[in-house]
Amino acid sequence: MTTTGHPVTARPVDAEPVPSPGPARRRRRFGPHALRNLLVAAVFLAPALLIFLAFKFIPMVRAVEMSFHEVRPYLGNLWVGLENYRTLLDSDDFLPAVWHTVVLAVGQTGGSMVVGMVLALLLEGGARHLWFIRTAVFLPTVVALAVIAEVWRVLYYPGEAGVVNSLIGWVGLGPSQFFNSADTSLWSVMSVGIWRGAPYDMMIILAGLAGVDRTLYEAAAVDGATIRQRLWHVTFPALRPVFAILFTLAAIRGLRVFTEIYLLTDGGPNGSTEVIMTLMFKLGLDRSELGVASAGSIMLLLATVVLTLAVQLARRRRADRPRKEAPSR
Amino acid sequence: MSRTERFDTALGFTTAKGPVMRVVRWLVYAVCVVVFAGPLLSLLVNAFTPVAKPTELTLIPDEITLDNFARAFDRGVLGYLLNSFFVVGFGLLLQILVSLSAAYALARKRFPGMRLVFLLILSTMMLPEEILAIPLSLVLADVPLVGVDLTGTLLGMIIPVAAWGFSILVMTEFMKEIPVELEEAARIDGAGEFRIFFSVVLPLCRPALGVIGIFGFVMIWDQYMLPLLVADDAGQYTLPLALRTLRTDPEVGLGVLLAASLLALLPSVIAFLAMQRQFMKGLTSGAIKG
Amino acid sequence: MFRGRPRTRFVTTALAAVLIGATAACGGGPVEAEQDPNAALDIWIRKPPDSPTAQTARDLAAAFTEETGIPTEVTAIFEDFETKLQQAASQQDLPDIVINDTAQLSTMAGQGIVREIDPADIEGGDTLTPRSWDATRTYDGKTYAVPFSAQSFALFVRKDWREAVGAEIPTDWDELQALAEDFTTEDPDGNGEDDTYGYVVPGSTKRGYTAWYYSSFLWSAGGDFVTASGDGLAPAIDSEASVSALRWFQDSMCDGTVVPDAVTLETSQAHPLFESGVAGIYFTGPYMMSRFDENLGADKYEIVALPAGPGGTSSVLAEGENVYLMAGSANEAGQERFAEFAVSVTGQTIGMAGDTAGNIVRLPVNTEVAIGDVRTDERWRIFDEVYRESGRYVPTVPEWTPLLQASAESFNTILADCGVDVATELGALATTMAEELEKQGATG
Repeated sequence: MTTTGHPVTARPVDAEPVPSPGPARRRRRFGPHALRNLLVAAVFLAPALLIFLAFKFIPMVRAVEMSFHEVRPYLGNLWVGLENYRTLLDSDDFLPAVWHTVVLAVGQTGGSMVVGMVLALLLEGGARHLWFIRTAVFLPTVVALAVIAEVWRVLYYPGEAGVVNSLIGWVGLGPSQFFNSADTSLWSVMSVGIWRGAPYDMMIILAGLAGVDRTLYEAAAVDGATIRQRLWHVTFPALRPVFAILFTLAAIRGLRVFTEIYLLTDGGPNGSTEVIMTLMFKLGLDRSELGVASAGSIMLLLATVVLTLAVQLARRRRADRPRKEAPSR
Repeated sequence: MSRTERFDTALGFTTAKGPVMRVVRWLVYAVCVVVFAGPLLSLLVNAFTPVAKPTELTLIPDEITLDNFARAFDRGVLGYLLNSFFVVGFGLLLQILVSLSAAYALARKRFPGMRLVFLLILSTMMLPEEILAIPLSLVLADVPLVGVDLTGTLLGMIIPVAAWGFSILVMTEFMKEIPVELEEAARIDGAGEFRIFFSVVLPLCRPALGVIGIFGFVMIWDQYMLPLLVADDAGQYTLPLALRTLRTDPEVGLGVLLAASLLALLPSVIAFLAMQRQFMKGLTSGAIKG
Repeated sequence: MFRGRPRTRFVTTALAAVLIGATAACGGGPVEAEQDPNAALDIWIRKPPDSPTAQTARDLAAAFTEETGIPTEVTAIFEDFETKLQQAASQQDLPDIVINDTAQLSTMAGQGIVREIDPADIEGGDTLTPRSWDATRTYDGKTYAVPFSAQSFALFVRKDWREAVGAEIPTDWDELQALAEDFTTEDPDGNGEDDTYGYVVPGSTKRGYTAWYYSSFLWSAGGDFVTASGDGLAPAIDSEASVSALRWFQDSMCDGTVVPDAVTLETSQAHPLFESGVAGIYFTGPYMMSRFDENLGADKYEIVALPAGPGGTSSVLAEGENVYLMAGSANEAGQERFAEFAVSVTGQTIGMAGDTAGNIVRLPVNTEVAIGDVRTDERWRIFDEVYRESGRYVPTVPEWTPLLQASAESFNTILADCGVDVATELGALATTMAEELEKQGATG
């Protein structure tokens, strides 16, 4: 374990550009090294890919197939072409649901990241008491959503005696209806999402902060940099892989928001929190119309793929600036 | 240590000196704990009260009772807890190994089709589980390529979670940042792929191991659709399944749900504390050397 | 993607091969199983595992096995019953018997996972109440189940609160509303705070709760969801009586006599509001009695039949459970024998489980079973009377769920926003319903 203590260094973005051999696609040579790499990679990737093939890809393909059928296991499936897709798209609630989904995705992602960043910066450190505080802050993430939903129903109780209403009453606001009015429900749901998402992001950011090279802080202090400059020029650049993860996750998860809404408001009141998944649930699964439900999820999947590709492309464009590449030889 | 202490953190907030900072610091900590943990703790207090009132939060109950726990145990919660432990133990171990191995290939090797593989892995996280349920259940009853029936076995809840896109993604990003020089040095010394993987790359991934350990634990512990599809009867239920039943069971009250939730919560907190230590070790060792 | 191409092609081919394999494995078609009159029966019931009700179901199955020699296995599944049933159907491995809500009838029949039966073939079928058989027929007049249990709903009223505000038991809707107002404003729990309400209403749109809850009130006010029109059905939700009924709901919500979080409340979240003393009037079923007796106390509340509404009658939602004989069974004769046993005097008596919380038969469907012989708790008689005199099942349409869900969304809108014009909203709902009925081929 002699190497345990080696720092996991993140390269600051302003450092000397390292000449890199460039991404593989620019070189057309396919030598024995490349073949060997492929074999090694295949061996190391095999367990993950085999499991994914069996439990993700095959079910996914089956879902695509179901989306073109009326699913009736004991009578035989009926081919209905695009009918299931039409059912969803023709629903009057579809466009509002897309809008709510996007608003929620952007708001929750942004909110969680900002709050998570602040928490991570405030609670970073090795002291034992910080250990417990971080654990306490992390609690919302490990508690079952069913319980979280009950907690927030209590906090948001719309009467004047409600906990949050009492709090905002002190500063002369409220009482608010929270989940129970179409004007406030979406924001209320979003706050719960941020409250639960921020500690999650905090942990990932903390892990990133752990990897920042301490000598750079020292160097920045020697140069007389303020804390703001230090954050901007040393910490944030070093957190780039962390942001990459957070943005990718946000792109993947953003559109499929479901359980929170299902447990908190089920899309109500007056459809003000209806998102794509809850709509799909009502049109498809509540009525056991698996074809419709599949069609909805395929559309969701396609949208998510596009979004993820966009995030990846944006990342790559930035990352194509000089950086250390893994060895290709 | 003291010389570099003020450079241990990005903000220097938790290590700042002086009585004023001390007070400010503890105020900030208190706000954080009250906002994030306060509501949960007070609700869990209700696990010990006979009838929970759903309009107000109490931190000090009028009357303390263990009835809710007794009723939760009547409903077989202890057995579900054991099942959950078994699944999370083996599932997490496998998941970490599989993630490390896949991440090694993705972060340290360049090979044709890499981007496609990466995208395929991302795509596994995109489909909502509620939708995949039916196709997934067909696969579980007759696993492709091997033709085994996993329904009715705890193994059926373990193998599918062994590969998780999130862990692979996080590990890959971390491994990319590990300098290649060490690896090249080992290669020149004649070390093979597995040797490099286990003795050079793995030890450097410690902080990240804490992260995927914590998230992996939460992910497997919260699994609900998979155990539902795998379980033939209540004997194989895990705790999240039991929580769902208790939530809507008209015969039991909110208190029983909370009592069961408290039982479900404790292992997560303990696991979190334990893995945070690992995670912290990575952090401080990095700081000292730096 | 120069380098990526060969790999892509490989993956595509592999996925295509898998797709073909998967499709072949799941080719549909009616399934005929080889018959064996001694084959074990797999019985699923929609009850929480390890609950007293699940135990009663096992007792019932054991008594059946003792009488017929046919082995049985009982599985209790609750919250996710429908998911598990879908799973079993897609694996073509259905249980032999399912005991589940009457409301599942048209969905299950539409998927072809239940067997059609001839009531005349069921021994003792003629001793069952004709009303209970109504809940086993689909729109096309075919019978797909055997009735097993029935239930109705009534008002649960806080007796101590009513006495505290000095009111009598309500006998019409005006008195009911006056009582709700007293509960809201008169501090019935005497704690000196303005923290009580009249009604608990589970008004979430989930599973159509809003419409499900208010259906009894709608009917009692003379309104309706759909009505016969020619050979088929037409929406009646925009009729004058329906509109005034919905106005009544909206008024009670907007003048503050309903708990303020009603529009997002599910039933499981509504129960605690009654038992912890937030509101004092709750319209619910007899299955809540054992819980409220324990958590609130049987002396603190009373059960009152819903008074006749502006429509002049009281018309209360009737529900129940059916025994469904599932498709693909290897023991169809055994399935029928189980259904016959379940509705027999012996079977019904076991299912009623005396005065315990373990009842899976709430009200017997067999006319030869007298409720007073099995239960001493007088309150059951109120529910029995309500069921017999004013019970009404949801309308028989090809598929009720979409209509219920659409109604719930509209009712929820009306409740959530006091500015919504009831007539306009219900007019829009009627249009939606007409389209849905058209789609289902039920417009005649």
